[in-house]
Amino acid sequence: HRSRQLTSVSSHSWSSQSSLPVCGGRRLLKTEAQTANITDELRLSDSCVKRLKKISEKDELLRVVVEGGGCSGFQYKFELDKNIGEDDRVFTKDGVGVAVDKESLDFLKGSTIDYHEELIRSAFRIINNPNADHGCSCGASFSLKLD
Amino acid sequence: ATRRRLIPQRVALVLTQAAVKKVRTLMDGRPDMIGIKVGVRTRGCNGLSYTIEYAKEKSKQDEVVVQDGVTVLIDKKAQLTLLGTEMDYQESKLASEFVFHNPNIKGTCGCGESFSL
Repeated sequence: HRSRQLTSVSSHSWSSQSSLPVCGGRRLLKTEAQTANITDELRLSDSCVKRLKKISEKDELLRVVVEGGGCSGFQYKFELDKNIGEDDRVFTKDGVGVAVDKESLDFLKGSTIDYHEELIRSAFRIINNPNADHGCSCGASFSLKLD
Repeated sequence: ATRRRLIPQRVALVLTQAAVKKVRTLMDGRPDMIGIKVGVRTRGCNGLSYTIEYAKEKSKQDEVVVQDGVTVLIDKKAQLTLLGTEMDYQESKLASEFVFHNPNIKGTCGCGESFSL
């Protein structure tokens, strides 16, 4: 059985979250303030940068979203997106960018985005997430660390 | 001469064209290997998880599946769990992976990596 329920504390912010991946009606914005070059909140590994260079088209960013689901309560989702919303933070490195909305960033702070390649599977993944407690073995799902 | 006795046998693993193509590409890059080997290990939230590695040689108890010129070895431990499974390869910009469609599986994990029988 999978846990699909969200904790009551975060259910409000996450219900608005569920409409995010579509990104309908989002404006293409790029201002100095939004393109924050601070990497101490989210790091991009070299393999992540390399892979993004290969797959992303012009102005395309990797969007990382945290949503409720998976066997451990929360899961990461990756997609390519050209639109940057007002509540997005953009992290750039060597010409590639990763967009994360504010709510998701709270869950991702301090972690590293990596592109992991092995025989059975090659995919983007989140590693060293200080906010996450133990998760699923595949790394797609995690539960939160409680202080 | 004695007549050959026919024993019905099903192929343990069927590869889709996408999987064949990917294995072939992998083999082209590693001519020193004879094929890939599929195994299972105890891991993940649902008990078991598949593994794939390069195979240098066939060990005694491996089952060999040859399809369209590519060789897939099946580890002894994985043979029962894999019976009748289709191995597919799915590729997108964000992720590329081998996927196993197994009729014997009772439950899987959200990401599909882990399963129980």
